[in-house]
Amino acid sequence: MTLSAETVLHELEMDVVVRSVRVESDGVRSLELAPAAAGDRLPPWTPGAHIDVLLGSGADALVRQYSLCGDAGEAEDRGSWRIAVLRTEDSRGGSRYVHDTLREGDIVTVRGPRNHFALAGSPRYLFIAGGIGITPILPMLAQAEAAGADWRLVYGGRSRAAMAFTDRLAAYGGKVALVPQDEQGPLDLDGLLGTPEPDTLVYCCGPAGLLDAVEAKCASWPSGVLHMERFTPIAADDAQNLEFTVVLQRSGLTLTVPADKSVYSVCRENDVSVLASCLEGICGTCETEVLDGEVEHRDAILDEHERAANNTMMICVSRCRGGKLTLDL
Amino acid sequence: MKPHKTGRAHASGTGSVTRFPRDAWYALARADEVGRSPAGRVVHGTGVVLYRTSAGTVAALADRCAHRPYPLSLGRVAGDLLISSYSGFAYGPDGRVVSVPTQKRVPVGAAVRAYPVREYAGLVWVWTGSPGLASRRPLPALPWLTEPDWTTFGADWETAAAGGLLQDNFADITHVPHLDPALAPPVLHQVPPRLDVEVTEQQVRFRRDFPPARLQTWQSEATGLPPEGEYAQHEEGWFAAPGLWADRWDVLVPGEPLTLHFTHALTPVDERRTRHYWAVSRNFSPKPETTGILRPILDGYYRKVKDALEVMQALVDREGPAPEVRVRADAALLEVRRVMRRLLTEDTAR
Ligand SMILES: Cc1cc2nc3c(=O)[nH]c(=O)nc-3n(C[C@H](O)[C@H](O)[C@H](O)COP(=O)(O)OP(=O)(O)OC[C@H]3O[C@@H](n4cnc5c(N)ncnc54)[C@H](O)[C@@H]3O)c2cc1C
Ligand code: FES
Repeated sequence: MTLSAETVLHELEMDVVVRSVRVESDGVRSLELAPAAAGDRLPPWTPGAHIDVLLGSGADALVRQYSLCGDAGEAEDRGSWRIAVLRTEDSRGGSRYVHDTLREGDIVTVRGPRNHFALAGSPRYLFIAGGIGITPILPMLAQAEAAGADWRLVYGGRSRAAMAFTDRLAAYGGKVALVPQDEQGPLDLDGLLGTPEPDTLVYCCGPAGLLDAVEAKCASWPSGVLHMERFTPIAADDAQNLEFTVVLQRSGLTLTVPADKSVYSVCRENDVSVLASCLEGICGTCETEVLDGEVEHRDAILDEHERAANNTMMICVSRCRGGKLTLDL
Repeated sequence: MKPHKTGRAHASGTGSVTRFPRDAWYALARADEVGRSPAGRVVHGTGVVLYRTSAGTVAALADRCAHRPYPLSLGRVAGDLLISSYSGFAYGPDGRVVSVPTQKRVPVGAAVRAYPVREYAGLVWVWTGSPGLASRRPLPALPWLTEPDWTTFGADWETAAAGGLLQDNFADITHVPHLDPALAPPVLHQVPPRLDVEVTEQQVRFRRDFPPARLQTWQSEATGLPPEGEYAQHEEGWFAAPGLWADRWDVLVPGEPLTLHFTHALTPVDERRTRHYWAVSRNFSPKPETTGILRPILDGYYRKVKDALEVMQALVDREGPAPEVRVRADAALLEVRRVMRRLLTEDTAR
């Protein structure tokens, strides 16, 4: 056994049973998940959290992230979780598996929850959701409401029939604006974000195009106001990768990261236990504190300011701009 | 209130945590300390007064009369009302002023803050954050403190150290054999076996499985197991919430393990002082004699912890924070700090 097997770090992993399946809209199904073993309890979570779901078995198994979209307040009995999944056609099959194969009574393994899209305290919020990006936003609304904050949601989708959870949103009345694209065209981001509003945090989730546009529009807002979650990775050109050295301070190790490997995989090869899940820079699980050296960020999680701060990095995808990084591992 | 600058999960930072989130439950008193006369407590540097209404439910109000800065805890309870012994203002359990001595009508909106309260596991818990969120954030279940097949003893006191120093202490028990060799089971004197750290969004659990070894003298006296016997043991620590830790130690015997649960409620009095409620529960030998064996050992150990943490706080006060050398065994501690920092950015109340 090598030295570093002294400590093994992992997320909670448990088997859950699909207690019910519901059609939420054209293309979106939601699953209610409850602990498979009697006596097991689901851990607490807050709005913005997501879990890993292991889909399929053996070598074909895919790990996919799904936001918890039930009411976090339901945690009173912590009886179950709800996730909602959009069917993605042109894909490796994770969402198709949820739609075509999973049935009531099936057992799946989940990991987490984790949260990289937490709702910070604020007197006022502007929520912007596009399509399936409504999932993490949904429980945020209930929390903002309970905390007595002033908020509104603008929710765009392809068509009314494709938009999930419009029934649940109806209860909020005029605080919610539904914008089906086929009826009203795309979201009016200039109108929404043209003038920065004081004391307001912006929470946005949806397709990459929407997020990029919102990010550009929010450039004139104070820094730290915009919070986004991307469901898909940012494309990177791995052909340009260079080799570098990584110093794992806590473990007392200095390792070489070759051009064709990530910091994460080099840690694994050397028995240094680190958390990871998606390995694509989208879930935030592998975030690691940077003690020295300059990071070349490749993830979809950190915003411009967090990147510039150079305090943390996603070691599954991000690399090094100098020749050497020192990490708190 | 201003919006927080960032709500993203892993606000990084270094060193021990000093500020605790407001959106959390904190133990402010033992249930038996709260009765028909007001009891003053301090959390996050702010006074809270507790009393029981005639129906026996606990009310928690800001401990400061709305008229003059005089503590309501120096007042008296009459029926369901709390009456300031300086201004004579009378407050209901919802914090509203119901009468003032000098005029017929009550000034519009006259009230002090009322806190959501829960009585659970022998303690009175107060939610110090946005009141609307309290019902959405249940307290973790502590069945060993509420079910009859467990025997519990404990104590509480104030430690003149930041709550983060107490958390760091509970997150890593490798200091135990150095601090209290007579308490530490012999297995703790060896190189520790593998540490398994399990994280979720808000909780951290860690475990170690120790190979069969002799027990410490007090362990065999309390359990009645032969001192020459060798037993596998299991350690588990659980950061359940900012103000709540629950650890356990199992001695594996055929059938149910012999278990000690160590529950710690930590309440940030201010950034340098922490109220510490501890309770030790066991599922074996409920006899008072067994408590008589265990109590001095554990009480002695927790007093040593208190002394050590107060020394640390004094040193930090004198010299300020300094970078710390970390080891792999700090994994649980670092995850706990991470959760704490994140909860701070999520706080909806200031
Ligand atoms: C934090 C987080 C939360 C999420 N929450 C939700 C949610 O609540 N609901 C929900 O429906 N989804 C959610 N997702 C997205 C979800 O995890 C899956 O990505 C989604 O279901 C698609 O999975 P898939 O296997 O069907 O598609 P994938 O194969 O992963 O394809 C996804 C996209 O990548 C493209 N792609 C195809 N092949 C590849 C390849 N080889 N490599 C890279 N990209 C490829 C596809 O064209 C498609 O646009 C979330 C993602 C994250 C990171
Ligand atoms: S493992 Fe998901 S971001 Fe690195």
